[in-house]
Amino acid sequence: MEDKFDCIVIGGGVAGLAAAMTLARNNMKFLLIEKGEFPGSKNVSGGVLWGSDLNKLVPNYWEEEDGGWDRFINHRRLTFMDEQSSFSLDFKSSHFNEKPYTGVVVLRSKFDNWLAGKVQEAIDASDFAMDSFIATDIKVDEVIMENDKAVGIRTGEDEFFADSVIIAEGVNNLLTRQVGLQDKYVPADHMLTGIKEIIRFDQKVLEDRFQLNGLSGMSNEFVGWATNGIEGGGFLYTNRDTISLGLVLGLKDLREKKQKPYDVLNHFKQHPTIADAIKGGEVVEYSAHVVSSGDSRVMPKELYKDGILLVGEAANLLMNAGKAIQGMDYAMRSGILAAETIVEAKAKNDYTSATLKEYRKKMDDSYVMKDIKGFQDAVHLLHTDVMQNKVPNLVCDFGRQFFSIKNEPTPKSEKMLLGAIKRHSSLWELAKLGFKARKSL
Amino acid sequence: MKFYICIKMVPDVYAPLQIKEGELIMDADRMVLNAYDASAVEEALVLKEKHGGEVEVVCIGPAKASETIRKALAMGADKATHILATGDEEYDSASYAKILSAFFKDKEYDVIGLGKQSQDTDSGLTGSMVAEHLSLPYTTNAVGLEVENGNLVVKRQGDSGQEMIELPTPCAVTCSNDMNDPRIPNLKGIMASKRKPIDQVEISSLGIDETELQADTKVTSYEEKPARQAGKKYEGEAEEVAREVAQLLDTEANVL
Amino acid sequence: MSTILTYIAISDGKLKRSSLEVLSHCKSLADASGASCEAVVIDANASSFVDGIQKYGASKVHVVEDPIFKNHMNTPLLKALSKVMASVNPSVFAFASTEGTKDVLGALAANQNAAVIADVASFELIDGGVKAKRPVMAAKIMNNTEAKSEKVLVSVRSGSYDLNESLESAEVVNVDFSMDDSEMKSTLREIISASGDTIDLNEAEAIVAAGRGVKDEEGKALISELASVLKAGIGASRALTESGVYDPSLQIGQTGKVVSPQLYIAVGISGAIQHVAGMANSKVIVAINKDPDAPIFEVADYGIVGDLYKVLPPFIEEIKKIKG
Ligand SMILES: Cc1cc2nc3c(=O)[nH]c(=O)nc-3n(C[C@H](O)[C@H](O)[C@H](O)COP(=O)(O)OP(=O)(O)OC[C@H]3O[C@@H](n4cnc5c(N)ncnc54)[C@H](O)[C@@H]3O)c2cc1C
Ligand SMILES: Cc1cc2nc3c(=O)[nH]c(=O)nc-3n(C[C@H](O)[C@H](O)[C@H](O)COP(=O)(O)OP(=O)(O)OC[C@H]3O[C@@H](n4cnc5c(N)ncnc54)[C@H](O)[C@@H]3O)c2cc1C
Ligand SMILES: Nc1ncnc2c1ncn2[C@@H]1O[C@H](COP(=O)(O)O)[C@@H](O)[C@H]1O
Repeated sequence: MEDKFDCIVIGGGVAGLAAAMTLARNNMKFLLIEKGEFPGSKNVSGGVLWGSDLNKLVPNYWEEEDGGWDRFINHRRLTFMDEQSSFSLDFKSSHFNEKPYTGVVVLRSKFDNWLAGKVQEAIDASDFAMDSFIATDIKVDEVIMENDKAVGIRTGEDEFFADSVIIAEGVNNLLTRQVGLQDKYVPADHMLTGIKEIIRFDQKVLEDRFQLNGLSGMSNEFVGWATNGIEGGGFLYTNRDTISLGLVLGLKDLREKKQKPYDVLNHFKQHPTIADAIKGGEVVEYSAHVVSSGDSRVMPKELYKDGILLVGEAANLLMNAGKAIQGMDYAMRSGILAAETIVEAKAKNDYTSATLKEYRKKMDDSYVMKDIKGFQDAVHLLHTDVMQNKVPNLVCDFGRQFFSIKNEPTPKSEKMLLGAIKRHSSLWELAKLGFKARKSL
Repeated sequence: MKFYICIKMVPDVYAPLQIKEGELIMDADRMVLNAYDASAVEEALVLKEKHGGEVEVVCIGPAKASETIRKALAMGADKATHILATGDEEYDSASYAKILSAFFKDKEYDVIGLGKQSQDTDSGLTGSMVAEHLSLPYTTNAVGLEVENGNLVVKRQGDSGQEMIELPTPCAVTCSNDMNDPRIPNLKGIMASKRKPIDQVEISSLGIDETELQADTKVTSYEEKPARQAGKKYEGEAEEVAREVAQLLDTEANVL
Repeated sequence: MSTILTYIAISDGKLKRSSLEVLSHCKSLADASGASCEAVVIDANASSFVDGIQKYGASKVHVVEDPIFKNHMNTPLLKALSKVMASVNPSVFAFASTEGTKDVLGALAANQNAAVIADVASFELIDGGVKAKRPVMAAKIMNNTEAKSEKVLVSVRSGSYDLNESLESAEVVNVDFSMDDSEMKSTLREIISASGDTIDLNEAEAIVAAGRGVKDEEGKALISELASVLKAGIGASRALTESGVYDPSLQIGQTGKVVSPQLYIAVGISGAIQHVAGMANSKVIVAINKDPDAPIFEVADYGIVGDLYKVLPPFIEEIKKIKG
């Protein structure tokens, strides 16, 4: 077949675009299909893209004034909340000012579109300038299988053929299920819903309020009162002249407690800490998206099969362990590794599992799988009631006493702490928690 | 029949925008093919399928406009001319009309199709200006096109009804998006579009004096619309709220 | 002394109110700047409209009367406008933004080498030209546009200015006009009129507009009944004009008509920006929609969340009661 591709990539999110970039750079003939009107048009992330893989894909990306990224992170904060107070662990370091940055805040509709433009440039510079494509506004309906090996895709009436298919379809893993790599049924307690508002300020006001310097930015995660008793957490990231403020909430818990995500977000926004942070801002966008809990119990059966590789959130590569949501960096790395495996497969002219299993090995050797396996206990821990409610309350209670100065004798802080623990939990519970946490973090 | 369709790259009106100190700030990446032009392309393709011929698109715009041109080619247009602009010029409809007319001066064609207006500015001037410069018979606001005995029969939407107008060729027509639903390019079309020729032309090669292109009109600033006070929503039993609002229209709004 | 000229459109044998709105505005501009306020009317029975025109302050009315103007055709209209413009030499030539105007405005500007600003919400004179406000980006925002030229054409959206009577006894100038058949560049084959007695939406005091939520004859009947109780014009969203449920002349929005009645009732319309672009200047907006999150509620003064088939019957009944 003359117009057969080396590879078809399904989905133009971070994972798909990273794969496409790697394919283009390695002179492969490929087709990337994205169902949105343009790459990023449907994507929602908080979002901080952690790690330095972006620099691999687009070397010195920071030199582009108006690139796809908004700010680099040099200030991180984890906040425990109760009804009136917040207690933060705050870390700022000029170490993070060095390039490549350890994390950049991105707005997906802008970032993905920008990255797709970079992929197009790589295509234009490749031998297949006329034969590789990024096609948008087209939805893949089916992966065409022959003898349980992927040979192409179908969209509407049209069929396109390729030696390999990279599935980068994100969390709605319909095709992953169609090809049999994921069970038909993923239980709701492994699903979260992410909701987010983009709130605009005058850039100067934003920079003053969050103490930003040049293009530096802050990421802030929240636990406790933020979610109104629903399993999950909150986040606030600074973009150029907006902030992304949102929550990630357990679907099952929402359903059982009969709460609507939007109402919980409004609850969050009423907390004095948040109310102060967003004062004077104008909500310019609201979006919602499902996200997996990153629990390895819902990992796909395998990351490959004959002619197929699974990347990004389609493969449930995600971590949601309290200190941050990580998904885009895993998506990026998995896309790169998958494409590299396809390049090897082409050299050997063998696209069966025999070659594609190399991808699994690369993943196991990478930080991605090490993280995901290593921090499973932390993920489980985060989603317990102790961590979700008792700890934040306790910490805030202690903070309130520790920092209040009254005209009476001040108790020793140890006594305050013990008092706080008794009111919100028990020493025994915390000892258990500490033990678990030490193991899991 | 030979169709030339003038297509314009315009900002997506759905993209978020803001105004800062009178300047309009939008994401420069969110550009689309003007919806009215897409209808013109669609109609030309349908007529070509019926009667044979060729559809060529012409676009004045910066390098990025090649994406817009590709979209029209992916829909099925045969070829394209890209008249290169830097994007920094402050052209108005009159400037574009002059450039287009200079381009068409020595061309052979039956129909020049345009959009009835640009969806970002709603000016609606370029079409009849081009027709006047080229002394062509024309109509505007077409909602239907037919070819009969070598003539173009246009159904045009007028103020209170529709008019059927017959134009000898060569002629010009501006198209409404009420004419059709432009096809969404399929993957095969997108692929084929890459191999279709795009002729790149410099404005300076069209033999027009740059000073002639200087716009008479100039956008000096942008501003928010006076905000409408968001009103009240009445939810509940249909019968009750219906009567309540009817009462309020009389007693409160005073419009009955 | 400079001249501000207004084109008076005639539609279905009547003076178009939107032209008189423009004339009223031009009269006040002329008074303030010491210019002369003149008007031109072009029609098969043009002279019969002079009385109506001089009521709004034109001191001179240029009359082009010829049977050829019975129906709108751009070739003769353009010829007549060019001729009047060349002889009057106005510094500003103002139009109401009708489909008839849109058909010739660009061509007239090119022919007369004039600057042109189309479809403005307001305009004023500045040194050496005109300054206008225009809605852009599907009417989400406004821009300020300046045209600097000895001759400026400007077309104005209907409802932008109030009518303002100021009686003048106008001097009537009959303009010689004749047109040879051979000059006609195109042929008018047929006129497909919308049903005769519909109310001109640009002039309607009240409009009931139907959208895709109006699904069948029963829904259409409710719309008609509400419109008749209110003596309102009927409008429609593109969803319903496109599918042929309502006549395309009734479409309201960016592609269709721009209206600004006292009362606008949007029934089963979602409120897409392109629709809102055509009705946001209505004085009081009522929306009936079963989706509480429909964007139409963001512009509605009174939003009724509910099924139109259940809401309209009691709504109509109550209005009937109020109207006695
Ligand atoms: C509220 C929220 C906050 C988050 N915050 C962060 C954060 O701060 N940091 C972080 O690293 N991660 C964050 N994440 C997670 C992150 O968004 C995901 O891990 C990441 O987007 C996964 O990338 P992906 O490319 O695998 O999938 P996606 O980004 O979901 O991309 C999949 C693409 O495939 C397309 N597609 C799907 N099906 C088809 C089809 N059949 N045919 C064609 N195209 C198709 C989709 O349109 C989409 O563009 C957050 C998630 C949410 C919801
Ligand atoms: C360049 C361009 C120009 C355009 N110009 C125009 C224009 O001039 N005018 C125009 O109107 N559109 C225009 N459009 C189209 C516009 O974008 C929308 O598609 C159109 O306005 C939708 O019409 P609608 O609201 O009737 O239909 P929909 O968007 O389908 O909305 C139907 C609404 O009815 C409600 N509904 C359904 N059933 C019921 C019920 N039983 N009771 C109560 N409510 C119910 C639904 O909740 C929904 O909100 C244009 C588009 C483009 C791209
Ligand atoms: N830069 C351009 N390139 C090609 N065609 C254009 C351009 N500008 C305007 N047109 C044509 O003119 C129509 C719009 O005219 P206007 O509303 O005056 O901007 C469009 O629908 C196009 O058909």
